[in-house]
Amino acid sequence: MKIMGFTKKIILGMAMALGLAGAVQANVGGPVWDKAPNKINDMAALQSGAKVFVNYCLSCHSAAFMRYTRLTDIGLTQEQIKDNLLVTNSKIGDTMKAAIDPQQAKAWFGVNPPDLTVIARSRAGAGGTGTDYLYSYMRGFYKDDTKPTGWNNHVFPNVAMPHVLWDMQASMTPGQYDQTVGDLVNYLQWMAEPAQTTRKTIGLWVLIFLAGLIFLTWQLNKAYWKDIK
Amino acid sequence: MATFHEISPNASAGAKTLNWIDNRFPLSKLFKEHMSEYYAPKNFNIWYIFGSLSLLVLVIQIVTGIFLVMHYKPDAALAFGSVEYIMRDVPWGWLIRYMHSTGASAFFVVVYLHMFRGLMYGSYRKPRELIWLFGCGIFLALMAEAFMGYLLPWGQMSYWGAQVIVNLFSAIPFIGPDLALLIRGDFVVGDATLNRFFSFHVIAVPLVLLGLVVAHIIALHEVGSNNPDGIEIKATKDANGIPLDGIPFHPYYSVHDVFAVSMFLFVFSAIVFFAPEMGGYFLEYNNFIPADPFQTPLHIAPVWYFTPFYTLLRAVTTEMMYVLMACVLAGAVLAVVKIRTPRLFKGAIVVGALVLVAMMTAIDAKFWGVVAMGGGVVILFFLPWLDNSPVKSIRYRPTWHKALYAAFVINFFVIGYLGTQPVSVIAGRISQFGTLFYFGFFLLMPWWSRLGTFKQVPSRVNYTAH
Amino acid sequence: MSETLAASGPNDPSKRTWLIASGCAGAVGGIAAAVPFVSSFLPSEKAKAAGAAVEADISALKPGEKMTVEWRGKPVWIVRRTPEQLAALPKHNDQLADPLSQRKPTEQAPEYARKDETRSIKPEYLVVVGICTHLGCSPSDKFKVGPQPSLPDDWQGGFFCPCHGSTFDLAGRVFKNKPAPDNLEVPPHMYLSDTKLLIGEDKKA
Repeated sequence: MKIMGFTKKIILGMAMALGLAGAVQANVGGPVWDKAPNKINDMAALQSGAKVFVNYCLSCHSAAFMRYTRLTDIGLTQEQIKDNLLVTNSKIGDTMKAAIDPQQAKAWFGVNPPDLTVIARSRAGAGGTGTDYLYSYMRGFYKDDTKPTGWNNHVFPNVAMPHVLWDMQASMTPGQYDQTVGDLVNYLQWMAEPAQTTRKTIGLWVLIFLAGLIFLTWQLNKAYWKDIK
Repeated sequence: MATFHEISPNASAGAKTLNWIDNRFPLSKLFKEHMSEYYAPKNFNIWYIFGSLSLLVLVIQIVTGIFLVMHYKPDAALAFGSVEYIMRDVPWGWLIRYMHSTGASAFFVVVYLHMFRGLMYGSYRKPRELIWLFGCGIFLALMAEAFMGYLLPWGQMSYWGAQVIVNLFSAIPFIGPDLALLIRGDFVVGDATLNRFFSFHVIAVPLVLLGLVVAHIIALHEVGSNNPDGIEIKATKDANGIPLDGIPFHPYYSVHDVFAVSMFLFVFSAIVFFAPEMGGYFLEYNNFIPADPFQTPLHIAPVWYFTPFYTLLRAVTTEMMYVLMACVLAGAVLAVVKIRTPRLFKGAIVVGALVLVAMMTAIDAKFWGVVAMGGGVVILFFLPWLDNSPVKSIRYRPTWHKALYAAFVINFFVIGYLGTQPVSVIAGRISQFGTLFYFGFFLLMPWWSRLGTFKQVPSRVNYTAH
Repeated sequence: MSETLAASGPNDPSKRTWLIASGCAGAVGGIAAAVPFVSSFLPSEKAKAAGAAVEADISALKPGEKMTVEWRGKPVWIVRRTPEQLAALPKHNDQLADPLSQRKPTEQAPEYARKDETRSIKPEYLVVVGICTHLGCSPSDKFKVGPQPSLPDDWQGGFFCPCHGSTFDLAGRVFKNKPAPDNLEVPPHMYLSDTKLLIGEDKKA
């Protein structure tokens, strides 16, 4: 039928155009980052990542939109959070604020350390997911005496951030360090969207329900349209 | 004025209530006129679902929008945080936010497909020009609504996208910079801009949209729907005055649309629950960085649905101006030679063209880029008067017309894709060819739409029972 | 054709079956879709955090003094009553609308505040929400004993609401024939130590 032919042509054309786009995209992209291990469903890894985050990152970076209470979603009790993860003078209902004063931080580093709540969502790109970026970044520090902090980074050249985990990296094997960083970046990915696992679980049920609804409405449609000659 | 209708006291409670209402409000009359006795052609195909789907998405956006406004803060210092508050602290806030962001993109997918249906089947032709005009108005309002809504999350893309587009207005000669200042309410995009865009996005433009949608549907029902064969079904009626190829909208198309809605909701939900970012096209990665007036991101691009028009804007470089001036002059020559109009009109055309070329030399390309971008949308308004084809529907046009339409679609995708990419020499050249093709398709339509061997249009629609 | 599509629904059984089936499924879907929207009205995590229990340090409170802390946006009074004030409490039970806190047992006071006239866990310390049960104004302190303007001659100390004249005694109990219907609310509270009160949570929570 003529219309099927025409619509098919359009769809084919679209597919070609998209394929072309994809090909161009693959050539254009930037550096490709190392793939971070996927531990988003591993509660133990996320909890360990949370601990690293609170102990090392919160001194300078805030996670101003993340509330301590939400950590119960990764399997911690309120007591555990209060005892191990609360920064001094915080209550469990508070948001994760940095210890440092932002003005001082800007004076010391030249730039305000960015808020990390949604950092894993903001760094996604052609090279990989935001988690991949952060994984490569935290493992990309190298000694550079020409820099004020003494450190530089392969992924973010001339970064103002020092290698905060340097003592950890020095006292661990590369495998152990990678694992710790893996925990940390997965925690950051979780923190960027705490609802992500619920979202997918509910989504499955919604799609199953809608598939059923499609069947019912299709039969309903057929039952009426059989009248039309 | 209707007569007051008394009902028997033995009638059911439902019948009595309906009668009470009908004596005071034309409820049953409206239902008959617009649903159960509105006769639509029986040969609608899949391209005809997108009108009701547009209405559905409009409702989704309004409902989710109402609930978002309960928690969103339209203040430059608080906006970004309030969106994260919705995503984390408000019960189910994340779902409402994703429905709204996916709905915005879904709106454009559905509307573009809806417009394409009109293009294919000649739905804009007489006597349906006004439906098309209202529709173009809706498209324009939708673009404004989306543009202003995008500023609200106050991310890097929100901020810089708004800054760039508002600065375009400053390219207008004489009034430009003051106009940009008036729009922004400040020297740069800031809190003042955010608040007024909030007001427009939440109240002003939705009201305009609703009004235009109502007008659009009323105009449609006044004339009756077109169909894939482009045949006027009202030309062949039975003894009761009902079109032979018509079927009552209710229940046949209500049921058909319900089926279409459930399929749409499946795709919509799959995106909302499993891929709300859609690879950075529906929720841009850079927008997860709070707006920073001192740091422009490396790569600013408008949201995907604006990219074809953004390409038209960027394609107009100083070099391109010469090509465009040549086109204006060639157009004037063609018009004078080919169109049969009185001498006076021809003189006016020549003078107009010369004035235009003079302006094009005097005012720089930045302004004409804005004109091209706006022109890309405005040209759609003129479509009913550009199409000179003796048949409405693409089904009965010469085969090469179909190839031309397919090329138009592919070109639209190509210039759309190029709008997401950074500037480069090759991309620039392709964009320029794409721009010329886009405008050429419309501006030369009065000529090419008449060319070729057209097929015989039947008197009755093509329909196979299913 | 339109005559057969009467308002009462399709006569064709297959149409009716699918109509009912999809109608029910649609209704279920509709309600399920409404749940997130209605739930979004519930207090957010921010509101719940702000409404969390508040600690009060009562070590500096001297007998006869009152301190105020804020809990859920409301003033909570902690009054350290003197032995004389405590002794006076049962004496004017007949002047009170609800001397033994029996009205609205679950709403106005937890059971540890309903056991006797003192309406408190430790008789010495009164903990009440400082909002008049009439229309929500905050009553003023009237701890001085004896006749005063707007107060009866045998006034033993308590609170006077300036808006419509309701009076409450030093256990927050409302006097008869006043606009306020109920005694002042006692919030859930518990003692973390002899000098620290936690307002907003009690041992049951």
